[in-house]
Amino acid sequence: MKRSTPYLLLAPALLFTAFVLAYPLVQNIVNSFREISLIKGAGSWTGFGNYANVFRDALFWLSFRNTVVYAIVGTVLALLIGLGFALLLNDRIGKITGIAGFLYTIPWVVSPVVAGFAWKWLLNDTFGIANHWLVSAGIVKKGFSWLGNPQTALLCVAVARVWQFYPFAMVMFLAGLQTIPKEQYEAAAVDGTSPLRGFYHITLPNLRSVTSVLVLLGVIWSFNDFNMVFVMTRGGPINASMVLPVLVREYSFVHFDVGKGSALSILVFGLLISLSFVYLKVLSRRESL
Amino acid sequence: MRQVVKAPVMIALALVVLVPFLWTVSTSLKPLPEVNKYPPEWISPNMGLKPYGDMFFYLPFSRYALNSMIVASSATVLTLLIGSLAGFAFARFQFTGKRALLLVFLLSQMLPGASVIIPLFQLLSSTHLYDTHIGLILTHTSILLPFVIWLLYGFFTAIPREVEDAALIDGCSRLSALRRAILPLALPGIGATALFAFLGSWNEFFFALLLTNSDSARTIPVGIGLFVGEYSDVWNQMSAAAVLFSIPPLLLFLLTRRTFVKGLAAGALQ
Repeated sequence: MKRSTPYLLLAPALLFTAFVLAYPLVQNIVNSFREISLIKGAGSWTGFGNYANVFRDALFWLSFRNTVVYAIVGTVLALLIGLGFALLLNDRIGKITGIAGFLYTIPWVVSPVVAGFAWKWLLNDTFGIANHWLVSAGIVKKGFSWLGNPQTALLCVAVARVWQFYPFAMVMFLAGLQTIPKEQYEAAAVDGTSPLRGFYHITLPNLRSVTSVLVLLGVIWSFNDFNMVFVMTRGGPINASMVLPVLVREYSFVHFDVGKGSALSILVFGLLISLSFVYLKVLSRRESL
Repeated sequence: MRQVVKAPVMIALALVVLVPFLWTVSTSLKPLPEVNKYPPEWISPNMGLKPYGDMFFYLPFSRYALNSMIVASSATVLTLLIGSLAGFAFARFQFTGKRALLLVFLLSQMLPGASVIIPLFQLLSSTHLYDTHIGLILTHTSILLPFVIWLLYGFFTAIPREVEDAALIDGCSRLSALRRAILPLALPGIGATALFAFLGSWNEFFFALLLTNSDSARTIPVGIGLFVGEYSDVWNQMSAAAVLFSIPPLLLFLLTRRTFVKGLAAGALQ
């Protein structure tokens, strides 16, 4: 009885994970090796045919490039802004710090759909306030369709993504900052170290582990992010902002080619797993040096 | 002195950061002719709550709100029940396969929704759970579980073992020790976890979009996500829906943010 207790306690959670995550994942791998359509059902086995189809598709390569850009911009900018805000909030100056902290976190608390909607409306070419400001400031002559232009659509979605993600980085950095022993700064002050050098030699090294967690999560979450792109552009115009998760839906639910959609989703999963693995390996090697 | 410089900077930054949201709030209060007016203005003379009423009248948002309530609260309760059993098992027992199981839960957070959606869609269709509340509740529960288990694992580990031992000596069984001695102490942590679970389900878009196809099960984010393309001329009503939809998460966050932030940080810094 005693030995089995932990397994009994874990059973419901495992059952759920098995049915809704593990079984579909395995089934998805199976699907990726056969011809299967959402309308006509499963057909013959094709080996790596679906994977070859994905690799032959120019849209896949475009989406891949877009996803990488989206993940890098989304993660780097969000981390920089999050760190800046965390430093600002770490130096408490009374009640206002708490209020500001709450206000800065709002973009993360509202739904990604609301965030996407708000940015889409903000950037509206005629009635959005953003264009009005740019026109007033003389930066553009007349309202510009930021989301309707292939050159700018992806970057605008990435900016909205940064807006949604930086509060998470801020909260984590703030927690990291609060674990740094005060004595380290005091000792540095005695030695006459400038605040800038203190930041470089004390703050940043102490934030290393938080930063590495944030980079990993930021890249994985941006790579898997479907919401922001779907709500703001649906991958358009002319696929200029197409990213991999949206393309999976496109393959499976718009072109009904479930085999190809499955193959693509497995590729994304495999890529993320290997990326995390390499990243963690590199980190742990650096720690041990 | 420092305060005099920093306080205005902090407030100014908050305003900048909140522009997209404030612009949505402003739009949600304007009648349509003033929404479609150039140049746009933050404050207009005829502002009022009419778009909110119109939104419920013209768009099926009262139905979506009901669906969201049912799905998010059921998924939260279910996730917490199952998650606290698992979190307790990880925090208090040594057993074979513990590390491997923890790793499984950690890895399943990395799983892209896109990699499970089609078989899940087929599974729910064949069990007649596609486009139903139950289908969404079960799906949300399982995607929330991994992170909830990690959070609760952290909270339970932080509770001193002696508390539990004392209860065991007093003749409680392990389970009733969990209920009587541990749960009350873990309550703040559980509250924060509940917030996370509720927000996760309430805001979830991808599965809710692809596992429903009628108003009987669609949640609010699906409504907003779909209407953005189709009825984009009623930006004020859409904004009203977006604002109303954001109120429960904001309120919940305001109430529990201290514990929540602490729990998140503890889990991440482990």
